[in-house]
Amino acid sequence: MKFHKAGSWLTAGLAALSIVSGCSESAETPANSTGNDSGAASGAEETVDIKVWGTNIGYKPIEKGSKLYEFYKEKLGVGVIHPYVEWNGGTNYLNQLNLKIAANEMPDLFLPQQGIEDSLAKNGAIADLTDLLPEYAPNLWNAIPQDMWNIVKANDPTGQGRIYYIPGMVDYGRYAGLIRQDWLDKLGLKMPTTQDEYVKVLEAFRDRDPNGNGQKDEIPTGGREEARWMDHLFAMYGVAMFEGYPDWDLYNGELTYSATTPNMKAALEFIAKLYKEGLIDKESLLNTKDKWDGKIQSDKVGNYFHWVETGYLPLENLYKNTGVKAEFSVLPVPKVDGFEGFYTWKKFTPPAWVVKNNKDEKKLMATLKLLNNMYDEKNWNDLYLGVEGMHHVVKDGKATRLPDDKSTQENLILDPYSKISTLDFMTELNKNTASEDRMWAIEQVNRNMQEAQQYAKVIAGDGMPASVYEGYPDINNRTLYVEYASKIILGQYPIDKFDEFVEKWNKSGGEEVTKRAGEWYAKVQK
Amino acid sequence: MQSHSLHRMKVYWPLYVMAVPGMLFLIVFKFIPLAGSVIAFKDYSVFRGFIDSPWVGFKHFGTLIHHPDFLRVFTNTLLLGGFKLFLVFPVPVLLALMINEIRKAALKKGIQTALYIPHFLSWVIIGGILFDFFSLSGLFNIILGWFGHDPVLGMQESSYFRPVFILASIWKDAGWGTVVYMAAISAIDPQLYESAMIDGASKFRQIRHITFPILLPTVLILFLLEIGNFLDLGFDPVYNLLTPMTYNVGDILDTYVFRTGIQQGQYSFATAVGLFQSVIGFAMVYTFNRISRKVSDGGLW
Repeated sequence: MKFHKAGSWLTAGLAALSIVSGCSESAETPANSTGNDSGAASGAEETVDIKVWGTNIGYKPIEKGSKLYEFYKEKLGVGVIHPYVEWNGGTNYLNQLNLKIAANEMPDLFLPQQGIEDSLAKNGAIADLTDLLPEYAPNLWNAIPQDMWNIVKANDPTGQGRIYYIPGMVDYGRYAGLIRQDWLDKLGLKMPTTQDEYVKVLEAFRDRDPNGNGQKDEIPTGGREEARWMDHLFAMYGVAMFEGYPDWDLYNGELTYSATTPNMKAALEFIAKLYKEGLIDKESLLNTKDKWDGKIQSDKVGNYFHWVETGYLPLENLYKNTGVKAEFSVLPVPKVDGFEGFYTWKKFTPPAWVVKNNKDEKKLMATLKLLNNMYDEKNWNDLYLGVEGMHHVVKDGKATRLPDDKSTQENLILDPYSKISTLDFMTELNKNTASEDRMWAIEQVNRNMQEAQQYAKVIAGDGMPASVYEGYPDINNRTLYVEYASKIILGQYPIDKFDEFVEKWNKSGGEEVTKRAGEWYAKVQK
Repeated sequence: MQSHSLHRMKVYWPLYVMAVPGMLFLIVFKFIPLAGSVIAFKDYSVFRGFIDSPWVGFKHFGTLIHHPDFLRVFTNTLLLGGFKLFLVFPVPVLLALMINEIRKAALKKGIQTALYIPHFLSWVIIGGILFDFFSLSGLFNIILGWFGHDPVLGMQESSYFRPVFILASIWKDAGWGTVVYMAAISAIDPQLYESAMIDGASKFRQIRHITFPILLPTVLILFLLEIGNFLDLGFDPVYNLLTPMTYNVGDILDTYVFRTGIQQGQYSFATAVGLFQSVIGFAMVYTFNRISRKVSDGGLW
């Protein structure tokens, strides 16, 4: 089910009106009117408050004087005001952000969405960080490798090779297919390494009742609607696939959209075969996140694809629901003759922060100071743990994160550890902050994270800006691909229809997009 | 003439005062925003604002019409609009006539209430119910199973989409649609029925020659109003039932614009499509109103 709520676009004309009248000055306290509270580090110097916007999926806002405000002020020396803005998949956030920008109330530091940083940079609304970062935020500057900065420069929409956003970085392979090791052991099967072995394992999962409830209710593998989260089935054919979004990689030496390659055709043919034989969930293409997670967590699914580091969620929920302590292992990318398989790794996540082009020098400096201090690795543990009593407790000298509670916890908006993620840090974090009774799950996750690295490959299209799709929204949101892929998998279209898809894709803008992608790649290669 | 109307305004001034809030509402919320439609002819950018965004003429209309899938999207819209007009619209009329013939007051009220309930569910919920209804463990497949059929996942079959859409629309709103008709029926003079009965007219004849003809002007007006929304099917019902597998029969202007316009922040394009729908809707209302006045000396204006 899709829970988006959208107004009629007939009212889009209202946008202009609401920009004029709809955004009254918010109730937030204006900054730098303080100076009286002499807290910590800053001493006599007054603390500058800046407005920070980012993802908040329902936690409490950070208000002046609140616990988290004081915590950030003490740790980082800058006052952070973070109002609550409903996230709703980023759609509502983006609308609110657009309204604020139009009303000339842009936040000082914020997470951009869906490529709006492009037009912001073109209009001079966000700061050119090229010279500011090395000078005022060296910690941040050094935390991100030079070749990534080079790509950011190549992505400058003004074509001047300047830096306008701070990229997010994932320094390790985050994804893998995960398979029920305990089921394999129970059925006396060994870990599959080739496609034939993999199919045999799936058949055994289907037929030999590995969950032992006497019913043939096992789902060997599957995925979610729009052919997402079944990347492991595409991976063995070397299809660059990112959470179900076909991506760009080199095929025959050319940067190509993976959905239009022969690799994709072969993968779809294989998946259609699995579907026909009942080896992937019949409802795969209708599964919402809740439905698919529910199936995994009710001891029915043998193999799924997701973030390895959040693997404790299915493990713990499965245990809670059924009392089974499952064991998941990383599924090695099964070998297929003539193809080089891999799990897609993108070092770049979408832009993490942009900085307002502030006329107020004091605020701009405070923003850079905040960036510098928060990207200081020494602070990460503290930032992750948050406020004692609100986000974590200390028992016997060991700090443990408290369970999520949106009604009491303020939003930990400064999360450099997830915006520059390294494998070591995540592993340590898992180990150090989990309670004893969760260790069985955390240890599995940590082991799998190490294991997954050998199958991860950085794709050539990593870091490509969304602007290559400009003017071709249906190519950007891959409508055509999803339609054809779904129908081919279900057997509603024969595999020959794939060629028609490629032709249509090229005609409806794919050719132009490919050209732009090639130009971008040439620029990055320099 | 003018002095005459001025005189009437003086005499009936309380009525005019009472009309003021309604007029204000229309002006503020309907007429002023109409000016916003000009962004359909501009490249609207939030930085430049409403006035300074550059004029681009019919560019956005061209984009719409030259889109490779435009024909498919437009056909789907026309078909679903047509189905809605000719299959969904008449149902409340029939329902009202049927409910009117129920003689036991308690039963009548009970049935009416039961029919009204689905109207208060949002399409998101109805979509959820339908997806569950057609799931592997849903009622539909259980019943198919009794007859030894293999399960069918209805929501991912193109051939199911239109029937499901039509039946769901009827189920949701047909009951609610009877309200206006029931009101019109209750206003019919009982003497007409009495005299018809004395003349020996059967129940069916009474419906045919008394109830239906008196109801007809109401039906006509509602029909004309409905026709104005011909291309404007409403986003919710279709979007909540749509899957990529049913795009080929269910992708309509509204869902298309949501995907390519609203989600991508293309306000100008979205407005252009809205305007396109409205202009066609207006043309249809105007035409049918003329026809209606010719054949039945009644219409909207």
